[in-house]
Amino acid sequence: MPPYKIPKRVKHRKEFRRVRDRKATKGNYVAFGDYGLQALDGCWLKSNCIEAGRIACQHYLKREGKLFIRVFPDKPVSKKPLETRMGKGKADVDYWAARVRPGTVLFELAGVSETRAREAFFRVAMKMPVRCRMIGRRVEA
Amino acid sequence: MHEDAPVLNAKLRDRVGSRYAKRIRETGGLPAVVYGHKEDPQPVTLEAREALRFISRGEKVFSMELDGKKQFVLLKDLGYDYLGTNIIHADFARVDLNERVDTRAHLKFVGEAKGLKKAGAVLMHPVNELQLNCLVTNLPDQIEVDVSGMDVGDVIHAGEIELPVKTMKLLTDPDTVVVQIIMKAEEPESTGEAASVDGSAEPEVLTAKKEASGDDEKKKD
Repeated sequence: MPPYKIPKRVKHRKEFRRVRDRKATKGNYVAFGDYGLQALDGCWLKSNCIEAGRIACQHYLKREGKLFIRVFPDKPVSKKPLETRMGKGKADVDYWAARVRPGTVLFELAGVSETRAREAFFRVAMKMPVRCRMIGRRVEA
Repeated sequence: MHEDAPVLNAKLRDRVGSRYAKRIRETGGLPAVVYGHKEDPQPVTLEAREALRFISRGEKVFSMELDGKKQFVLLKDLGYDYLGTNIIHADFARVDLNERVDTRAHLKFVGEAKGLKKAGAVLMHPVNELQLNCLVTNLPDQIEVDVSGMDVGDVIHAGEIELPVKTMKLLTDPDTVVVQIIMKAEEPESTGEAASVDGSAEPEVLTAKKEASGDDEKKKD
C-alpha cells in the first residue's frame, strides 16, 4: 500500500463531522508559489487523493519547479462496516481527510512557466474529487 | 508625476451594509471607503469598470472627485470574493503629495539566471513585495531585481536591492531572503511532520492516558 500522510499525534481519536458547506476564508489565495490549483467545491479530500495529485504533478514535471501542498489530511473519518446494525458507538477510523471548502488552494507551483503549470494542474485536477481551476497571484494594493 | 494621476469619479454612499453594497455591484458600481487625515471615513461608490481598469494596471495614487472636490487618495487595500476572482471593495487613504507613506512595492525579477540552466535548480522568491517608506510622488509601480548573475546557492537579501530613489527607506527586514536559487532535493516518501503509514499505523492519541486514569478513578469509586 502506498504511504499516505496522517498526523503524527492527535488530541482525540475520532471527531465530529462538523459543517462542510461554507466558503473558504483562509488558504484561498496563492501564497507560496506562482500558480495554484483552487477547489471550486467543498469535500473531504482523502489522503490518497492528495498523494495521487502529488505523484501526477511530479511525474509530469520531472525535476522542474517546486510543488507546495497546501492541505493536510488531519481529519479522521470513521465508517461502520458493511451489514452492521446501527448503534454500538462510533465506528473505527476509516480514512484521514483534509477539509476542503470552495475556494481552498490545494496545490501551488513555483519555478515553472504558466503553460507547464497549466498542463501539470490539468493532470492533478483529474485526480481530485472536486471541480478545480488554476489561479495566479492576486493583484495586491 | 501625480498631475496625471488617474481620476476616479466617486459618489457618496448614504446607505452602507452588505445588502446595499451588493445592489451597488449589481448596477456596475464598486463600493469603497475613503479615510485618513483625521477626518471621518466616507463610504463611496466608484464606477467599477473604470476603477478596476486602473487598479489592474498597478496604479496606486488617484485623484478622486467627490462632491465637486478633488483629493488625492492612495489605494490601501482590496477586498476579494471567496474565490479571489472579483474585487468587491477598495480602501483608499487621503494623502498629501508631500507626505511620506508606508507602502508596498511589487518585485519584478528580470534576466535569465545562469543557475537555472542546471537540471533541478529552482528560483524561489519567498517575498513578492517590499515594504517601503517614501514620498507619495515617488511611489514605484514595481522594483526590478536583476537575477541574471545568480548561480545555484546564490541569495539576494532585501537590503541588497537597489531602490529607485535614494530618499526611499526600506521597512522590510534587510536580512529577509528575497530570491534564491536552490537545488531541489529528491523528496523522500515521508517528509515533514506527517507519519508515513501503511494503513495499519495510527497516530499517537494525546488524551489516551487521561482516559485510562479516569477509568481507574471510577473503579476506585
